[in-house]
Amino acid sequence: MGYGGAERITMNMGPQHPSSHGVFRAILTLEGETVVAVDAVIGYLHRCHEKLAETLTYTQYPSIASKTDYVAAMTSELAYVRAAEMIGKIDVPKRAQYLRVIAAELQRIASHCLWLGTWCLDMGGALGGGATVFLYCIREREDVLDLFEALTGARLLYGLHQVGGVRYDIPADWAGKCRATVDKIEGRISEFEEMLESNAFFLARTQGVGTVSRELAQEVGISGPLVRGSGVSYDIRRAEPYSSYEDFDFKVPVEREGDCFARYRVRMVEFRQSIKIVRQALDGLPVGPISSRPGVKSVGQVRIPKGEAYARVEGARGEVGCYLIADGSAKPYRMKWRGASFSNLSILPHIIPGHKVADVVAIMGSVDPVFGEVDR
Amino acid sequence: MLSAISSFVVGFIVLNAIIGMVTYVTLLERKFAARMQSRIGPYRVGPHGLLQPIADALKLMMKEDVVPRLADKTVYNLAPIVFLVPCMLIFATLPFAPGLGVADLNIGILFFLAVSAMEIVGLFMGGWGSNNKYALLSVMRAVNQIISYDLPFVFAAMVPVLLTGSLKLSDIAAAQPDLLHWFVFYPVIGQLAFIAYIVATLAAENRVPFDILEAESELIAGFRVEYSGMKFALIQLGEYAHVIATSFLGALLFLGAWGGPGPAWLGPLWFLLKAMAVFLLLTWIRWSFVRIRVDQILAVSWKLLLPATLILLMVTAVVVAWPRGGAVV
Amino acid sequence: MSRQLGESFWKDLGDLVGAVRRAMWITFLNFFRKPVTVHYPEVKRVYPDRFRGVLALTYDKETGEENCIGCRLCEYICPPQVIKVEMLKAEKRNYAKVFTLELYACEFCELCVQVCPTDAIIMMKSFDLATSDRRELLLDKDRLHTIGLQFEPSWATGNGLRDMQTPPKAAPAEHARAEAPAAKAPAAKAPATNTEAPAE
Repeated sequence: MGYGGAERITMNMGPQHPSSHGVFRAILTLEGETVVAVDAVIGYLHRCHEKLAETLTYTQYPSIASKTDYVAAMTSELAYVRAAEMIGKIDVPKRAQYLRVIAAELQRIASHCLWLGTWCLDMGGALGGGATVFLYCIREREDVLDLFEALTGARLLYGLHQVGGVRYDIPADWAGKCRATVDKIEGRISEFEEMLESNAFFLARTQGVGTVSRELAQEVGISGPLVRGSGVSYDIRRAEPYSSYEDFDFKVPVEREGDCFARYRVRMVEFRQSIKIVRQALDGLPVGPISSRPGVKSVGQVRIPKGEAYARVEGARGEVGCYLIADGSAKPYRMKWRGASFSNLSILPHIIPGHKVADVVAIMGSVDPVFGEVDR
Repeated sequence: MLSAISSFVVGFIVLNAIIGMVTYVTLLERKFAARMQSRIGPYRVGPHGLLQPIADALKLMMKEDVVPRLADKTVYNLAPIVFLVPCMLIFATLPFAPGLGVADLNIGILFFLAVSAMEIVGLFMGGWGSNNKYALLSVMRAVNQIISYDLPFVFAAMVPVLLTGSLKLSDIAAAQPDLLHWFVFYPVIGQLAFIAYIVATLAAENRVPFDILEAESELIAGFRVEYSGMKFALIQLGEYAHVIATSFLGALLFLGAWGGPGPAWLGPLWFLLKAMAVFLLLTWIRWSFVRIRVDQILAVSWKLLLPATLILLMVTAVVVAWPRGGAVV
Repeated sequence: MSRQLGESFWKDLGDLVGAVRRAMWITFLNFFRKPVTVHYPEVKRVYPDRFRGVLALTYDKETGEENCIGCRLCEYICPPQVIKVEMLKAEKRNYAKVFTLELYACEFCELCVQVCPTDAIIMMKSFDLATSDRRELLLDKDRLHTIGLQFEPSWATGNGLRDMQTPPKAAPAEHARAEAPAAKAPAAKAPATNTEAPAE
């Protein structure tokens, strides 16, 4: 095994690795410390979601849909039920739409908490400053999960959405608790920014690393904070508003540089904007039913007429899409997930070569893949 | 003959004391770090986790010793010992009270700094003997780093030596009789030297933010990845012994060693407390920062810390020699 | 805009000192915050009303009879198909002869609770499921009834959930369904007529 600098060694960042964010295998070709090629191998978490959707009805599958992107479960469920509603031309009452928005934005906050924590954990070590930031972020995420627990009864995989609306209405004191939690998190985010942004170590690790140019961002099919960090202002909540997003006033953060630090800034601003949306939604929550269809009482209750539709939502990681072909029965004929992380991973062979091994983890963290979405 | 026996006995006591201290220092670090992270550290094993280090030690002793088939057996097996011995040896020069120490050499601090740098050999043997790309990569980085940071470490430690005029550690401690004379309070030079010492210590011991040797999330455990059981325990022992030794040295050089209110026999206790204070400072830094990349670590060392400590040393020399008309001693 | 360490001496020095001060200050602050650890199992976390815990079968409060009529709706709706029911026909009403639930495969999605017409199957506010033998998690009917008497039930029952989700028959302006889910609008009791979309 030579280390002359010109010789190449193949190193496997295997599926079991503390910082592969799931099960991801990257076969790195190294010249000394520099990565010259990366070969990504996925599929370790394949659970046949798309086939499963053909065997489960429209009432059963939303609970399963949360398991694709298990970190941000609400947005996955939303994509599926929206696709069914688009084909069946089913109206969703205004209150349900606002509840969906609140759930999606709180989920975005929780997902970004986890993103920040695991990213710093990767960069700072499981014993070290990274672990400290990780535990702080998880502490804040737990508060959001407590809110979800009070709403649905579950902390991670909810089953909140159903075709036609949502399943649970908010309990009596939930709005007050939600506001208190959101206020607290806003204060804590300032602490994280204080701890990280003025930190020369952090800046040295993330600035100039993993730069995605604007042209590359538009060519490769990436979405979410990845494109917004490279100067492309594309947010599905603005481009094709769904579920009453046009009622809310929020800023879509865009940064020019395209490096890891830019993506970090995008997500930190998204934190605050999500909090803003949650407050507006709580203030303007209309009274009314939470579903336009009766409560689930039999498995074949929802029949969607023949048709096909593609519903996209702005998940925490990018565009989560669900393409559904319905054939009039209670089960879809075909369902395809467009996983945000699956498409985002395609950027890796373009931006990793040329960086050092230590940067691979920083880049992976800023891409923020969740392998439930990638492998489905 | 008698002095040989007495130094043997003192050495034996010191060795056992180090091992005992290392285990409980790990507990201290864990509890301290936990408090900074809104949690409680070890709690269940023994009252408030006090038996946790004993449980860890027993566990390590009972583990199976897995040796990779293709590892270079001699190098692999010797590496933990070659790593551990220098880390223990440096305790020999530390005086714990005036006249109480294993060997108070005339060149005490020189011995300390030289021997503590010898652990690199043990590191490299471990990385090479493991026959593992991750281990090799990490020790390559570590050797780079430790060599780069030994110079600022030495220069920062030299400032108190210049201020005292002697390499003997008990002399340096005696030159700080009371609080006002602690070298850390020496205007400007003392504080800068202390800061440089702390930074260089972090790097010389592979503590975060300079811990690319381990780099848990990239290289799993660095050169320790193929070690298990008692060999792993020896490596951990060596690491923590080194950290404690440099904490003691920092307390001696800058914080006045055994000086403190109360009778003279409380001296070692004050020394211990000050060393623990330095250790907690290192721990506090460890749990607050992300690590930086290896090329950035080297950049910080060669472009920032080395010139800074060099200038500091020259300024100290000028400050010391000026009033005496050029003479240093 | 990228800056690498080692570029400029005094700037680096200043940055490092500032960074150190701020990051260490945050950690220092957190040192004095109360730990968030809950000393389980001596102290148990307070579960919210709607907590989806372990499943159970219930008895009728007034008559003491089993609520389950063996209609198998829960079996059909369960996504991972963990429930198996066999109906036992009797004169006045039906019962469940066999009711097994494989708790180790259960997803805790609460769909079985939602579809139950008699509020027979519910979830409890308890998550103490750990066991060293997987066979203990294959719950049969007796075990499910025992669990039902052992823990505190969650708020969710079939009728309650369906009422919360079903839109009221009258115009929305008349019913103030602002923030209290327990208030059942009288006209919205389990819809007898299905208002489904056209089949084809």
